[in-house]
Amino acid sequence: MTDPTSNPTTDPKDFIAGMDSNARKSPTRVVFVTRRTSAQVKVADEDQVQTYPEVLFRALVAIEVLTIALVGVALLFNAPLEGIANPLVTPNPAKAPWYFLGLQEMLHYFPPVVAGVLAPGLVVMALIVIPYFNINIEAEGLFLKDRKRRLLIFYLVAAGLSLFLLVIPEQPMYVALVPTLIVAGFMALAAQNSPQSPSAFRRYLAAKPLSFWIMTWFLFELTVLTAVGTFFRGPGWSWVLPWRS
Amino acid sequence: MAKTITDYFEELRGTRVWRSVFRSGTGSSTLHRALAVQQNVFLHLFSTKVRTRMLSFSTTWYLGTLTFGTLLILVGTGIPLMFYYHPSVPQAYADTKDLQFVVSSGLFLRNLHRWSAHAMVFLVFAHMFKVFYRGAYRPPREFNWVIGVILLLITLLLSYTGYLLPWDQLAFWAITVGSNIASAVPVMGNKVHFLMLGGNVVNANALLRFYVLHCMILPLVAILFVAIHFWRIRKDGGLYAHQSEPTTVAAESVPAAAKGGQFQ
Amino acid sequence: MQSLKNTFSSLWQTLFGHPVRAFGAVSLLFLISLAIAPAKNYFSEWRHYQNRYLALVRGRGDAVTLQRHFHEHDGIQQIWLPTLGVVDRCTTCHAGLKEASLADVGTQPFRQHPVIPHTLDQFGCVMCHRGQGPATTVEEAHRSTAAWEQPILPARYVQSSCGQCHRAPLTGTPQLNLGRNLLGRYGCVHCHTIKLPDGSAIKPTDVPPSLSHVADKSTREWVYAWLKDPQAYAVTATMPNFKLSDPDARDISAFLIANSTPIAGDTAPVAPGAKNQKPPDPTAGASLYGESFCASCHAVQNAAGNVVGGDVGPELTRVGSKVKPEWLRAWLRNPRVYDSQTLMPHYRLTDPQVSLLTAFLGNKTDSDLLANVHLDAATPEQVAHGKLLVTEYGCASCHEISGIKKPDNFAPELTRIGSKPLTQIIFLPGMTHAIPDYIAAKIREPRSFGSALKMPQFSLAPAQVDALTTALLSLTDRAHDLPLALTVPSKPPSNYQPAGKAGQLMADLTCFSCHAINGRGSDMAPDLTWEGSSVQRPWLQAFLKNPGTLRPALIRRMPRFNLSDDDAKELTDYIMAVYQTPAFDRDSMPSSGYPPAQVEQGKQLFYSKYACQSCHIVDTKVDKGYVGPTLTQVGSRLTAAWIYHWLKDPQAMRPGAIEPNRNMNDEDARALTAFLMTQKGSNKQEAKK
Repeated sequence: MTDPTSNPTTDPKDFIAGMDSNARKSPTRVVFVTRRTSAQVKVADEDQVQTYPEVLFRALVAIEVLTIALVGVALLFNAPLEGIANPLVTPNPAKAPWYFLGLQEMLHYFPPVVAGVLAPGLVVMALIVIPYFNINIEAEGLFLKDRKRRLLIFYLVAAGLSLFLLVIPEQPMYVALVPTLIVAGFMALAAQNSPQSPSAFRRYLAAKPLSFWIMTWFLFELTVLTAVGTFFRGPGWSWVLPWRS
Repeated sequence: MAKTITDYFEELRGTRVWRSVFRSGTGSSTLHRALAVQQNVFLHLFSTKVRTRMLSFSTTWYLGTLTFGTLLILVGTGIPLMFYYHPSVPQAYADTKDLQFVVSSGLFLRNLHRWSAHAMVFLVFAHMFKVFYRGAYRPPREFNWVIGVILLLITLLLSYTGYLLPWDQLAFWAITVGSNIASAVPVMGNKVHFLMLGGNVVNANALLRFYVLHCMILPLVAILFVAIHFWRIRKDGGLYAHQSEPTTVAAESVPAAAKGGQFQ
Repeated sequence: MQSLKNTFSSLWQTLFGHPVRAFGAVSLLFLISLAIAPAKNYFSEWRHYQNRYLALVRGRGDAVTLQRHFHEHDGIQQIWLPTLGVVDRCTTCHAGLKEASLADVGTQPFRQHPVIPHTLDQFGCVMCHRGQGPATTVEEAHRSTAAWEQPILPARYVQSSCGQCHRAPLTGTPQLNLGRNLLGRYGCVHCHTIKLPDGSAIKPTDVPPSLSHVADKSTREWVYAWLKDPQAYAVTATMPNFKLSDPDARDISAFLIANSTPIAGDTAPVAPGAKNQKPPDPTAGASLYGESFCASCHAVQNAAGNVVGGDVGPELTRVGSKVKPEWLRAWLRNPRVYDSQTLMPHYRLTDPQVSLLTAFLGNKTDSDLLANVHLDAATPEQVAHGKLLVTEYGCASCHEISGIKKPDNFAPELTRIGSKPLTQIIFLPGMTHAIPDYIAAKIREPRSFGSALKMPQFSLAPAQVDALTTALLSLTDRAHDLPLALTVPSKPPSNYQPAGKAGQLMADLTCFSCHAINGRGSDMAPDLTWEGSSVQRPWLQAFLKNPGTLRPALIRRMPRFNLSDDDAKELTDYIMAVYQTPAFDRDSMPSSGYPPAQVEQGKQLFYSKYACQSCHIVDTKVDKGYVGPTLTQVGSRLTAAWIYHWLKDPQAMRPGAIEPNRNMNDEDARALTAFLMTQKGSNKQEAKK
């Protein structure tokens, strides 16, 4: 990151600020420019509206609609409440709040250090560092450059991950394997296409960068694991069908 | 009729009292509208102008706004709930029962609080993914993304600490299962677990600890970070989503510079 | 159509065309949605019932009183009993519980509560009826929900709630008392531990025979038939049916016979010549059986299929098929040789009497019972497998079997079964998910929960199942967690043991099988704790030698033990010396010599003022009272002091006596005593002789 005022390649006049009525004389930070990106001129002609009242009231309407919806839910469905806490009586299964059930599902396969500490820790770390990796910022189609080498790495990683999910856990973790294979399938499809492909969907796939694929894989895994933990797990963390109970 | 209301409103805005409160005064010029935002301690966190493109529903799905909305609901329902709640065993459970059976609209308050909490966790995740997919985490917004991740963690902690408060079987065992994960931290796992619960098992100490965190510390931290989060939107160049990818042109032909941000 | 569309679109524009206008329109909806909750709160279920109650009351004659009672406390009602952990809001809807004038109202929730010994305000509702007291909706209060598993207790088990605080039997809870009795009597507690809140455990009251010497007593064939179906041998048998397969029953019988060791002197073979010498007269045997009052303890099924007799000892309908004659002879001579703990008294029977009884009982056979039992000689494998089965089925939990230890905690503990969490219970398909249904089903047919389960099939009448369920339902968390000060304890069990030679004699005669003394023993016959103050020495000594009939209406009577004069004197001396009440001196009033006027006054009181003849008989020609003992010889049986004090307060002399306390004044009591002391019964006795 560099200070734009000391950056000779940037012309301050290219930046039309959204609010120009009260410019300060003292130097302020106007822009971050990282190595490969630079500030862009083209945004200057974007239409803008006043926050007050246009945006503010839209936001208020959105919040009110949400509240009305939640009030409706609250009127129709009672929050769950069970018997008083009793350390002597363990419900089977004892489930964590729903947003941790993906983790609990992993705990079923991996030792607690891996599923409970390492995995969520890595996820948080990964989320934090996302914007600090250039590869995320470039946003180029994954297989558009250096295709052969990247394809090889992709196949190796996909096979390695699948093998990992099959062999390392106490039992093969199909719950995680299936989403992995589906995403890998789409990635393989993306590798066969270029932005010149006739179908819009294929063009869309081809243009997606690595960060997109990783995040999509994560979202898919998160959704599947959480859904499985919430709806499809019964006594002894065995498979059950939610509509049969 | 609408005009008369507007007239009355303008009259109201001209009064001394109004003007002593709102510094923008009468008038509806762009300047006045800009001042209405700038001169308000809460609204000055936001930019005075927003790109028209960002207003369309499909761009953001209003997920950030809605998340903030659930936070408002949660604060609004949480405070009256605190009036009826003692964080002690077994009174906590009895209080939850009383909320359900005796307190006027107590059940509704609790329902709304509970469902809004779930909605907030869901919306925070949705917001995060939406921001990622529209590329709004890119520089210069990377730090605001980090704050977002922190807010995600705070939201999870808020929801998690609140989960224990009814002191029912569901709460007790969910927290027991969740807190046992903390024991798996290498070397100091048991210490972390002990610190978290104020003991080796979920008991009255844990309830009190969670209560203080849930009603006091975490909301304050959350509001602080929400404020920074909002303020950084303005400071990092306003609401932004990069234009959809050019579809017919090869990526190589698009200058990397085309995907930059705009700042103020 | 087009214009409608235009109108709609212009309306939409007006309302939502601009964010500010949209905000106005949505805000209106928003405010309306916020108003729904308070409205819903106002039209709540409980308010609906209160309005219905007021409507019900309005038309009545005592409307003003009822309305005043109702409005004295408006809104949600609550009974809060911190010591019991009770928060009851039932009276919010059940508004008429305490209104005696609503006796004619039959609709719930306004029915008046039947009169019970407790007040609503001190005990609340859920102490007895269970359910969720704090709830103010019908569903949550009465049914099993996620927040409160235990629903309202079905009315037929409601006595179980009394048992949470009352550990001792109550007159008002026959079902609970029976159930508690059955827990011991059917030996449930041999396998299932049931700890009571005071820390003690329920003790079995049945006496399963030792099987260590079973070969002396019975044949393998009988053991086999018994194992297959105990009730086929005796309908009153408490031994449950283990539903054994033929090979399993064969192997267990093989093991039990092979494992049996003989006891010296427990068989008395008859000389071969003597057997055929003189076939004993069957009627003589029957009359000896009757004279010895065997039927006080033993039952026999008569031709009509009814079981007649007591249930202290085993049923004897088919005893000839069960026991070996030589064992029976030895047993009748002295049961303590074979079983030193038996409840059977040691009758001092003469040899001819023993022969008579043996022959009489030996004829009580059932040819069908053993007709199809053909067992080959047991192989060592069968014996070994039998031993394995005996261990598996926990036979040693009840029976003493040499070489096999009594298993600990063979079956699940039932100490808090009444509060067992539903999540820990596996219900049968189609079963109501509630504790009472589960317990009743488990008692009724244990193996329906799985054919591999060990719990056997008991032979119980529906009323007994209900009683057992009631007793088990009283074993709740609340029963165990109540402060001891709030419970009504039962009397601690007594292990009173009379001393000396008389004590040995009383053990030999098993007095405690029927009588209670100082808290120990059975309630079948009168409590003898203060017998020494109660009776006159000559009568007691004669009675022990040859007990007469005191209560002609009863089947159970004191049997004749054929005591020697020395033994009778020894016992009499001990009873007269030791079993005296501290309340009065037995010789404080004379046994005769009362002035005739007083006697006459007593007679008047007996027949007119107190109408004693409705329960007692003084003049056999006139009186028809069979409830109490016959009083024709009371003057030579009881001491005057005892009669006097008894009349003043019967329950003080013997707790639980059914004779009513008439609050007699001193003069009446003395006059009645004088009258009763003249009833020496000598005329009649002499006439009989």
